[in-house]
Amino acid sequence: MKRLAFLLAAFLLAGCAAAPAQPVPAGTQPRVFNDTDVMFSQMMASHHSQALEMARMARTKAVHEDVRTLAAAVDATETDELKTMQVWLDAWGQPLAADPSAHAGHGGAHGTSPDDIKALDAASGAEFETKFLNMFIAHQHNAIEIARMETGTGVNPGALDLARRIDESRTAEVQQMLGYLNRPA
Amino acid sequence: MRRAIAAVPLTLAAVAAALLVTAAPASAHGYISSPPSRQAMCAQGRVANCGEIVYEPQSVEGPKGLTSCSGGNSRFAELDDPNKGWPATSVGNTVTFNWVFTARHSTANFEYFVGGTRIAVVDGGGKQPDATASHTVNLGGRTGRILVLARWNIADTGNAFYSCVDLQVGGGGNPTPTPTQPSPTPTRPTPSPSTSPTTSPTPTQPPTGATTWAAGTAYKVGDRVTYNGVTYQCRQAHTAIPGWEPPNVPALWQRV
Repeated sequence: MKRLAFLLAAFLLAGCAAAPAQPVPAGTQPRVFNDTDVMFSQMMASHHSQALEMARMARTKAVHEDVRTLAAAVDATETDELKTMQVWLDAWGQPLAADPSAHAGHGGAHGTSPDDIKALDAASGAEFETKFLNMFIAHQHNAIEIARMETGTGVNPGALDLARRIDESRTAEVQQMLGYLNRPA
Repeated sequence: MRRAIAAVPLTLAAVAAALLVTAAPASAHGYISSPPSRQAMCAQGRVANCGEIVYEPQSVEGPKGLTSCSGGNSRFAELDDPNKGWPATSVGNTVTFNWVFTARHSTANFEYFVGGTRIAVVDGGGKQPDATASHTVNLGGRTGRILVLARWNIADTGNAFYSCVDLQVGGGGNPTPTPTQPSPTPTRPTPSPSTSPTTSPTPTQPPTGATTWAAGTAYKVGDRVTYNGVTYQCRQAHTAIPGWEPPNVPALWQRV
């Protein structure tokens, strides 16, 4: 089954890659993309918007300075990443968000719901920080899952590069946050 | 390759697309983050050589009713190894266990065991849990080093998620019972030979001095680093991590 999927994937990817056959001017983002690149960008853009809501709360509400600093760095980097993905989707002529049901086959929304984010905002002090860290660890684990979908079957060089960096940086963020939850006594 | 592709009818591509969607891993699920479970210790880098669990501490899923830390997964066998030097977290008689959920399955209950005895059960009511869960468990007067096995029993499947937590209970006068505690910072790349003698940022560092960028270093606004021979200045305080190399994150680093 794995081999079959691989062969089909190879056909599909090459098929998509072959479609926009115009030569790409040097130095610009190649306009080669497939369904995975589009789905990755749409899912990740919505995932980033949720992350930014949480990170912006934590920038001011977290108890420890290192948590606030991480939240501020996440805010800065993910704001840029979000813009990048929106530019791609626009250039590809694709909607910025897809019908959520289109993602059902990938295990659902992979994200944090508005109600959960509201509940987080209602907490304060140490309780806020613990809740934030546990929710954000989960959120970034989910980001890694979405990124691996892209590195598995995406073709767009920019999207593949972003997915690899998301995989690496979120793994390291989880590492940091587990440390923040478990400070030496 | 191209020639072969040209022969593939569009319908096959559509079928392939459908198959790819359903074949994508819908992964999951959850683990105890604090006090750190064994998989959390691995994901954090406090315990080395853990194998695959480092990348998916949330995936220790197995049939209900097991008593092993790996949930019977041979690829997570490291979690069952008592000789890996698992640090034990110092606690009192009551402990609050915090869960990370990456997929919120409807829940039968959460069970906690010590040495085969169930010491706590938290009903899940067959519903999805909240975004996080905190369970306060009474350890029943046990003292010394214990291993707590937690099972998150899913309501609508035959499976559970397993987390084991090493604890040092009571232990008055023994504040640091952990066998070995490797530094939690990510591995640092070895500095290149051109690195200046000052490797740790100190207040006395000359303002123009730039060190080689290194993951694990805490940088503050104005700090200068070199990366691949190019100098950058920090725009936003952060601890450097892989994936946040200066040329990749203009939000954190400005080329100078």
